[in-house]
Amino acid sequence: MSLVTVRKRREMSGLALGLYTVALLTFVMLPIVLVVIASFSSASFIQFPIRGWSLKWYVRAIEYGPFMKSLWISIQLAVASTLAGCLLGVPAALALARSRTAAARTLAAFLVAPISIPAIVLGFALLYYLSAVGIGVSFFGLWVAHTVVAIPYIARTVLAVYRSVPENLEEAAAILGASRLSTLRHVTLPMVRPGIFAGSMFAALISFDNLSLSFFFGSASATTLPVVMLSYMENQFDPAIAAISAIQMLIALAVLLLLERLYGLDTLVAA
Amino acid sequence: MNAVTTQPRRPPRRYRVANAWWTVPAVLYLVLFFVTPMLTNAWRSTGSPAAAGARGIWENYAVLVTDPFYFGVLRETILVAVIVTLVCILLGYPLAYFMVRKAGRWKGLILFCLIAPLLTSVVMRAFGWRVLFANRGLMNSVLIDWGLLERPVNLVNHPVSVYVALIQILLPFMVLSISSVLQAIPRNLEEAARMLGASKLRAFFHVTLPLSVEGIITGAILVFVLCNGNFVAALLLGGNSVKTLPLLIYQQFNLTQDTSFAGAMGNVLLVIALLGLWAQSKFARKQGG
Repeated sequence: MSLVTVRKRREMSGLALGLYTVALLTFVMLPIVLVVIASFSSASFIQFPIRGWSLKWYVRAIEYGPFMKSLWISIQLAVASTLAGCLLGVPAALALARSRTAAARTLAAFLVAPISIPAIVLGFALLYYLSAVGIGVSFFGLWVAHTVVAIPYIARTVLAVYRSVPENLEEAAAILGASRLSTLRHVTLPMVRPGIFAGSMFAALISFDNLSLSFFFGSASATTLPVVMLSYMENQFDPAIAAISAIQMLIALAVLLLLERLYGLDTLVAA
Repeated sequence: MNAVTTQPRRPPRRYRVANAWWTVPAVLYLVLFFVTPMLTNAWRSTGSPAAAGARGIWENYAVLVTDPFYFGVLRETILVAVIVTLVCILLGYPLAYFMVRKAGRWKGLILFCLIAPLLTSVVMRAFGWRVLFANRGLMNSVLIDWGLLERPVNLVNHPVSVYVALIQILLPFMVLSISSVLQAIPRNLEEAARMLGASKLRAFFHVTLPLSVEGIITGAILVFVLCNGNFVAALLLGGNSVKTLPLLIYQQFNLTQDTSFAGAMGNVLLVIALLGLWAQSKFARKQGG
């Protein structure tokens, strides 16, 4: 086989794999692109081809009280549960990451465990438990539930990042006379910041779209956006749902782009 | 020769910023709001104490396993998860391989296309598939325009749309799990195999693939568990054509309010998830040792 044929064959196989990738990514992106297109339709029922364009469904989505109210609650909830998750998860992860005892390993696995429980089971169990202890369906109940899931996402990335940084830097700071607190502030926390940041983003985004956990806690005073969207969609099939979906995606995308600017997507995926 | 005795010895106890007490708040929180609710749920699923006379402790579980309807649901739940997981492996591996080894400067864009859908609501994605599959949706109108179809085919409320949506929702998790492991495999291992005379395919199947099995397993467990917990696809696209446990829990909770039975179904779902975890820990130990 001549060198030219070898190179040609290599290019061909690379090209085939490339085309396959494009096709598969199209499949992954397709429903999202379709929803965004449909949100600009002027028809009152979604059908193709789209005959006219308008922004009226965005106006309708913004004017529809439950959407905006629950969107605001979802944002508050994502921020509140991520903060609580950081306060609980980061110290625990720092304490567990470098210990090699069996107990530490078990505790680290325990911190991450809520991720592996189907959210619908956790939500169901929590609803009856919280009602029994008097918290029940309220913003506070949602906060408690979402924090349970925020802890593992934050602990997981902090554990991974803290294990990958050299151990002797803090020791050096301590030998040079830094107090425990200033070692923590000036050495440890800056080193694990990418982990805290990536984990927080995960936790916030998961909370923002956590339907399975939230729908059990749906009440008139505090319901999250995905729950309102689900009940709207069970009854109607108009482009307002497409418009509010696009708005929600835009918010999440803005958060992701912020992360990309600050740390790069690779950090997020590597952890 | 004298041994290197002058080498500085590590201090017996390494310096640590954090101590064990720092784990207490998180552990306490999880015991209070994660372990206890799960245990009380397990207790509730055995039937309320008042009704215990009428219903035996294992009554709910007995119904789940012996009643043909519920047993069918259980079987379908596992079947859907297995099929979706297998399809995600087959579709996702080549994509992960291309992204890590061949994509070059396109890698960022591919990564973006994989992560962007994770930012959208599951409700939005189910809605998107309805837009595509509905009677007057995009697929029907295109196929009829091209003369490939005479009458519109309604894929909404058909199992196909549930499977397609689940695969689309879960594929990124599989690709990201595989690619993070592929990333860590030194490329020169494959090159060494090639240089020693292995064909390209042989090098792939005997070197790269075995080394990346861990990524496949991680991805498979993730997809399997997430698939078991997803009721939106079956609810919004299946129209009762695909009955899975999470969907039934949702319906039981919304309609019949039979909490002890819903609790029992939740525990069965939990056991399936724990089996996945157990498999993972077993595999991780094997890999580590």
